[in-house]
Amino acid sequence: MSAEALPLSGRQPRAVRNALSVLQQVARAGPGVTAKEISAGLRLAPATTYRLLNVLVEEEYLVRMPDLRGFALGRRVSNLAPPRPVPEVPAAAHAVVARLRERVRFGVHLAGLTDGLVHLTDPDPDHPPADGGLLRELARIRDDGAAVRRFALGPHQACLVRPVHSAANGRLAAALAVCGTAGRMEAPDDGLIHQLNVSADELTLLVV
Amino acid sequence: MSVRSTAPPPLLRGHSPVGGLDRRSLGPLPVLAQSVSAVAPTAAMATTPGLVRADTGVFAVWSVALATVLALLVAACVRTFSRRMAAPGALYSFTAKGLGPAAAFCCGCALLIGYGVLAMGALTGSGLYAQQFLARLDLSLGPPQLIVAAVVLATGTLVAYFLLRGVRLSAGLTLCLEAASIVLALTFFVVLLVRHGARPDMRQLTPPTSALGPVMAGALPAFAAFIGFESAAALGAETRRPFLTVGRAVRWTVVCSAALFLLAVYAQVLPTAGHTSVRLPALLDLGVSLSFFACALASGTALVRLLFSMGRERMTPHRLGRTHPTHHTPHIAIALVLPVLVLVPLALIAAGTAPQVLFARLVNLCVYGFLTAYALVCLAAPVFLYRIGELTHGPVAVAVLSVPSLLAVLLAHAATGGALIPSLFVALMAAGTAWFLWMSRRDPASVGAIGVYDETSAADVFPEPPR
Repeated sequence: MSAEALPLSGRQPRAVRNALSVLQQVARAGPGVTAKEISAGLRLAPATTYRLLNVLVEEEYLVRMPDLRGFALGRRVSNLAPPRPVPEVPAAAHAVVARLRERVRFGVHLAGLTDGLVHLTDPDPDHPPADGGLLRELARIRDDGAAVRRFALGPHQACLVRPVHSAANGRLAAALAVCGTAGRMEAPDDGLIHQLNVSADELTLLVV
Repeated sequence: MSVRSTAPPPLLRGHSPVGGLDRRSLGPLPVLAQSVSAVAPTAAMATTPGLVRADTGVFAVWSVALATVLALLVAACVRTFSRRMAAPGALYSFTAKGLGPAAAFCCGCALLIGYGVLAMGALTGSGLYAQQFLARLDLSLGPPQLIVAAVVLATGTLVAYFLLRGVRLSAGLTLCLEAASIVLALTFFVVLLVRHGARPDMRQLTPPTSALGPVMAGALPAFAAFIGFESAAALGAETRRPFLTVGRAVRWTVVCSAALFLLAVYAQVLPTAGHTSVRLPALLDLGVSLSFFACALASGTALVRLLFSMGRERMTPHRLGRTHPTHHTPHIAIALVLPVLVLVPLALIAAGTAPQVLFARLVNLCVYGFLTAYALVCLAAPVFLYRIGELTHGPVAVAVLSVPSLLAVLLAHAATGGALIPSLFVALMAAGTAWFLWMSRRDPASVGAIGVYDETSAADVFPEPPR
């Protein structure tokens, strides 16, 4: 696109400024603010406001709420701020994970979950997780209870995952995964499930 | 200076109402391919100029220009919605947000007829041109009807397979087919232009002040050639950046098709093109046949997503709203509708209808469905903008121009043919209305649910709200 190489000309700088103030206005007013309210708040012509809102929605910096009238910041806005630093895992949490590794003969991984992002905070050094499959599966964990669930990692591998909710604020903060051969994970013995639950319960006090 | 929204923020769902489809996965090219394939520009370049020329003679380009303006107006109305919501039900769901459930279901029925019959017509067309191609090569493998029927069956089966496997697989194929057939057609028309020489044909380019009536009459077949340009909207939920991509695909499909149609008409009306209709080279028959195959695939894609949306709303049996666990396509809707799309043309051919006649009637019938749906969505656009508090003068002007023009084209279309096709259309729409009335007594909740679309869910908002 040659247009992108052209310098800003004419009324374009003002359009950029207006677009940014529309973005800021949505951030300030909170989810659900309507086009009319934004236009009134910024004293911007309605037609201009609607056009800018549509551009920002097309670019996904803004989203429309389900009533189609209201606006909210879109997920793409999170790209504008620097990513949050990966939280440090307390030594006590490492100790809990290390203890579980000694008791079970499978790969044990601890993953932290923040703002829908997953990072392996303590991957098992003896059983390094293959490619990104584990992370992808962990990213799908939803905040719907603390039950242990099982998923397949390719044809021969499977994992048991237990979500860990922080005792401090109840947030889904981490996930503890035990990975091994598909056969062993298909019918895990009660001892393994018990060990996983005990370790996860200890971790609730150590994650935020 | 600061404002705070007075109403509490509306509740966000954790899951999309159209979940199960392969959401947010398609880039711009497959979406453009969907619209372009549904228009089937090669087929239209081969068939439309003759029809337009029969009405307008030397002023045929002006009819195409007029039809282009109307198509751009409809595209603007579709874009009003597609910039704001992504709906697999496309025009059906759009109309619901402007005019409410009754008008939406009317639009939905018109679209079911439109896409369904267009798919049947395209399958028949594919068979017809494949048979012509074989006949030109002196490969007579059997009676023509049998060859057409065999090709309809084969292409229908292929369409079913590609529909089930999803757009990502079929888009590559349709893009290649369309590109190849357009290049074939362009080569042919450019040869016609070169034979004519560099000087422009001023007979065609003079404004037709004396022949406004014929020019308007010619706009009808010319507009019919654009039909299908809106079908990218059906992929809204599956597009990576739907609010940008769908509108662009719809608009560019109209612009590119218009350029191709103008070239085709201009080249065929040139004095050097001869007085009888231009005889297409044999290879172009193959191109047209492939173009029709892509068209059947594209109209099938839009059709099953429309049925899927109605299934999710429970306006049709809710099983139609299910999706395949691995391919993420509406497989129950495909299984229900594909046999109908193949068996109806086969039965009519078996009953003795000549394939040419069948093809012409199917195309004729689908035009009624599309014109009705376009008129409703153009009427819905300003009402929708008023409802969400974003109405400006432009969209009102577009609706004021487009709705009466579309109705005029619809009436003109009804006046040209016999009574058979219009009465068939009215009968099908009446059946749809009866279904709607029955459903509104039996299950008012599903009527209220009409207009399902890929709503913003909690995960799309920053910061993600606590649930």
